[in-house]
Amino acid sequence: MISSLFILDTSGKVIIEKHWRHVIGRAVDDFLKISQASSSPYEVPPVVACEELYLHHVYRSGLVFLAVTEEEVSPLSVLHFLHRTVDLLVDYFGPVTELIIKENFVIVYELLEELLDYGFPYITEPNILKDVVPPPSLLSTVMNAVSLGTNFGTKQPSGSLSSVPWRSTGIKYTNNEIFFDIVETVDAILDRNNNIITAEAHGEVLCNTRLSGMPDLILTFMNHRVLEDNMTSFHPCVRYHRFEKDRVLSFVPPDGQFKLMDYNVNMSSPQTLPLLVKPSIHFSKTTGKLDISVQPRSTGGKIVENAALSITLPKAVASVKLNANVGQCTFDQMTKELRWTIGKISTDFNVSGVPLLTGNLYMESGAVPIQMARTVYIDFKINMYTASGLRIDTLQVHHEPYKPFKGVRTVTRAGRYQIRI
Amino acid sequence: MAAAVRGPKFFSTTKKGENFELKADLNSEYREKRKETVKKVIANMTIGKDVSSLFADVVKNMQTEDLELKKLVYLYLINYARTQPELVILAVNTFVKDTDDVNPLIRALAIRTMGMLRVEKIIDYLLEPLKKGLKDEDPYVRKTAALCVAKLYDLSPMIAIDNGLITIVQDMLSDRNPMVIANAVAALAEISEASVRRDVFVVNRSILTKLLAALNECTEWGQICILNSLASYRPHDTREAGDIAERVLPRLQHANASVVLSAVRVLMIYLEFITNDELLKQITRKMAPPLVTLLSSEPEIQYVALRNINLILQKRADVLNQEIRVFFIKYNDPPYVKLEKLEVIIKLCSDKNVDQVLSELREYANEVDVDFVRKSVGAIGRCAVKIESASEKCVNALLDLIKTKVSHVVQEAIVVIKDIFRKYPNRYEGIIPALCENLDTLDEPEAKASLIWIVGEYADRIDNATELLEFFLEGFKDETSMVQLQLISASVKLFLKKPGAAQEIVQRILTTATQGCDNPDIRDRAYIYWRLLSSNPQTAKAVVLAEKPPIEADTATVSESLLDELLHNIGSLASVYHKSPSLLGGTSVEIGRTREVLDLEGEEPEVDARTVAAQVNAVVGGGIDNLLDLDFGGPSAGSPAVATPPPMRTQTSAIDDLLGLTDLSPSTSTPTYQPGGFEPMVGATSTTPKVSFLTSANAKGLDVQGAFTRRNGDLYLELSFANRTSGPMTEFAIQFNTNTYGITPAASLQVPEPLAPNQSADVLLRLSTSGGVQKMDPPNLIQIALKNNLGIYYFNAFIAEDIVGNHR
Repeated sequence: MISSLFILDTSGKVIIEKHWRHVIGRAVDDFLKISQASSSPYEVPPVVACEELYLHHVYRSGLVFLAVTEEEVSPLSVLHFLHRTVDLLVDYFGPVTELIIKENFVIVYELLEELLDYGFPYITEPNILKDVVPPPSLLSTVMNAVSLGTNFGTKQPSGSLSSVPWRSTGIKYTNNEIFFDIVETVDAILDRNNNIITAEAHGEVLCNTRLSGMPDLILTFMNHRVLEDNMTSFHPCVRYHRFEKDRVLSFVPPDGQFKLMDYNVNMSSPQTLPLLVKPSIHFSKTTGKLDISVQPRSTGGKIVENAALSITLPKAVASVKLNANVGQCTFDQMTKELRWTIGKISTDFNVSGVPLLTGNLYMESGAVPIQMARTVYIDFKINMYTASGLRIDTLQVHHEPYKPFKGVRTVTRAGRYQIRI
Repeated sequence: MAAAVRGPKFFSTTKKGENFELKADLNSEYREKRKETVKKVIANMTIGKDVSSLFADVVKNMQTEDLELKKLVYLYLINYARTQPELVILAVNTFVKDTDDVNPLIRALAIRTMGMLRVEKIIDYLLEPLKKGLKDEDPYVRKTAALCVAKLYDLSPMIAIDNGLITIVQDMLSDRNPMVIANAVAALAEISEASVRRDVFVVNRSILTKLLAALNECTEWGQICILNSLASYRPHDTREAGDIAERVLPRLQHANASVVLSAVRVLMIYLEFITNDELLKQITRKMAPPLVTLLSSEPEIQYVALRNINLILQKRADVLNQEIRVFFIKYNDPPYVKLEKLEVIIKLCSDKNVDQVLSELREYANEVDVDFVRKSVGAIGRCAVKIESASEKCVNALLDLIKTKVSHVVQEAIVVIKDIFRKYPNRYEGIIPALCENLDTLDEPEAKASLIWIVGEYADRIDNATELLEFFLEGFKDETSMVQLQLISASVKLFLKKPGAAQEIVQRILTTATQGCDNPDIRDRAYIYWRLLSSNPQTAKAVVLAEKPPIEADTATVSESLLDELLHNIGSLASVYHKSPSLLGGTSVEIGRTREVLDLEGEEPEVDARTVAAQVNAVVGGGIDNLLDLDFGGPSAGSPAVATPPPMRTQTSAIDDLLGLTDLSPSTSTPTYQPGGFEPMVGATSTTPKVSFLTSANAKGLDVQGAFTRRNGDLYLELSFANRTSGPMTEFAIQFNTNTYGITPAASLQVPEPLAPNQSADVLLRLSTSGGVQKMDPPNLIQIALKNNLGIYYFNAFIAEDIVGNHR
């Protein structure tokens, strides 16, 4: 399995390294040699072979997490492990930067030691790890800052490991709470007549539990039909056979934040998409005309927020004269990008009318205007609404006497939402 | 507020006597002070400062109730074990004591850390605690100990075997705790991989039951280990295969992408054993959604998933035929994901969705990334070659793109249109004028060469073909060899089609090429044409204007046998590289040496007019990369080693034999052999001296020599086996990889068995050419796998062209 792991900054300098079998120094040089061909580590293929070494890396928040193996492995498990490692660091320290890693150097080092044993994943569940390697708490950092040192706030591991690998025993809260976030991202490509080329909602159910003991939960959905076609994947705690039989999620949750499930829903009808955008651009010899309207279509009566729209105009466009009845419009002369920040779109058009952008485009003299396909990218957010229609119905708690406080939030966002004109 | 409060500065500037200060702090009466100091020591250590003088003071802190402090000290020890093993032995007693601690975490930690020290001296101290750990009452300790056996085996296989540790781990497959089973599987797989006989871990039916039971309960990493071990099991019948597949199916819904892909791997293997169509369909249907779901993961995961989907589609195209949309490219996908998605899109493209695909590809052609744009334009051409009914739409799409006048788009479009012309000759010549309009914008050799090829091919239907060629002729000397070769061929074609008008141009170009060119490839080709034209124009016509084999859609990226091998290894590194697992850290093969020996044999000249034609026109393989004579040293030839010196010699010798003009062949490429010496002898025996294929040093005591021969028109492989071991050898078998000539054994290998120690045997293996065909590089390469009771060995053999020759 994994022989060595390195964390590199963007220039390729090693911030921290750890070897489980023997020291492999040249891996980093090899990686840098390979990545020189690309302009950024983002563009380097994640699995590359270099003589006898296999270099796996993920690139996140400006850092390269590089794992080296010397034999045939499942590269996905290595890449997945690396992502989980980054998630874990974020969980411990907040956003990961070079500075954060250096300041928490020893904790990172201790974590790496626990994450892998002889290159095999050993303890990767954040809940259990926090027992073994205490995260920096505010109190302990304050105490350390005045060089007193303390053990308050960090508990000693009990020594009894739980039979449920993702949850430690003896968790206690005075207020038992559980929060769900359903986040849906809509990817859609439409043609100029608003016919769907592809449309899909990718959903995640995120969970934040603060529950005592070993609660066994059953979560039921309204409209669970949207989950029919197997496009689901679950946290290991979910009992899959229960889901297959009754379409309910039965699980003993990990403590704290985790992702309960992922799902994809195909959206086949244009009526179910949140926005109706009608763009049109026409060019003549020296001028062009642009006309875009945006209106909510299927938003469950909720207000569309953070709406914005961008389009890259042909190089020949020299200047624009545009008028938007809502929001602001900017045009970048260099990139020819037109950006219209709309903001909130109310469902009540009597107040402000349908958002509309109209205006003229002026060509550079002598340039040939080419009628080419253009793409309009759209961004938006709708709170308390799911594009797929999935909703949480009930949550039952078993094996524990308390009734927790339950909270649910939903949000739908635009992913790759575009219209080709 | 939070930002203002930061942890202790471990990297503060070095002052004189820092170690002295640390030493004092390590002996502080406050535990927290000591802990912070150990942290500082570790921080110093990892940035390369020498803190070995603090060894005794650090180790003193090992005996503590504080688990974190204990682990910090262990960390320090693991690091120092590499450089100062003798010091570490000093700490060994504390380790041994810890393995008896009441807290299972500490017991496990001690065993784990002792295994990490990787010091041979520690083995003596480790053995007893490890044995105890393997039987510990706490599963956490047992699972840690299981992996420690693998560590020990790596250090000293003999000690691990002699003390029965491996047997204990094998017994642990029946443990009542699933996590222990998973770790035992991991340890055994690791040991088996490193062992000679690879029989440490064989999944049989009773183990299988236990593994399947543990599969549901253990952690995701354990599931991956177990799934991978299931892949080596061969079910007895379709019912068993179906039962196992049913048990594996729920894994497809796991959040860990690697679990999903490992499950897909197992299913792909077991599908081959399932004969029940209904079940087969049901399982195939369930595999699609999880594969699609993988594409909403991080880009790195997507990349590996896409490489594997590419393979799966080559075998079971129906798995994802409804899902092409999910492979459409997002503008913020990293380049490596974009290119892989493009490959999958082409694989999934059919006459049903081609409109949708074309509109996508045209969209991609507007992007900024030049490399990706080129590949997208190329993909339009590949769709045309793949789907005949859509070829017209594709051609129109390409014409639209040419109208954009964006240089790299235009040039790439011309390159792929050349392929379309090759696939559908005489269908789209109407678009040639539109192509020629862009003549002056072309600046890339491949695009120029493509357009010149088109002009040459359709010279009789292009009114101003002469003018067009003259346009290029002006700068002949500055062109790359790829363009020069095309110009020569095209003007000869033009001359043969329109003799009157082009006489002047063909003479001019041949003169320039033969007199003013230093590149022997160019000069030689010009000479050949010249001789052909002056001696016999009819032969010239037959050679130059010969019908070319049509090109095929290039959707299969690997040969069929390799594909099957890779599908058994879905989710592995091999499946990402699309290379045989044996080349990636499998049983290594002495490829280089045998190759050298055989290269010395040289290649025999070919005396076949059609082969010469093929060489001259260079339309041999028909692979898309290889259409334009690129094998004559074109700068962008995909595989540089396709054919370098041998064809050169073949070519000159062909002149000799065909035209008898030896004295005119350029002196730079003097033939090093006697042309008359290699007449193919039909009905006679043509032999080659045997060369060594395997030596006892690299094939576990088996010595094999061999040679290809032809007897009475049949092809044989003569093999001499010699057993250099002290035991008998049995179970001989042989297999050929698909090769250029489709050579494969016609009968099974009959080695007198058992082959006793120090005994030798000569065996004659009859061959046929009815096997699978795959173009090899070099073409006469044949990869052979030989098996006996001790293992499987791979080697490369090279068959002389004259031996295959008259069989084709």
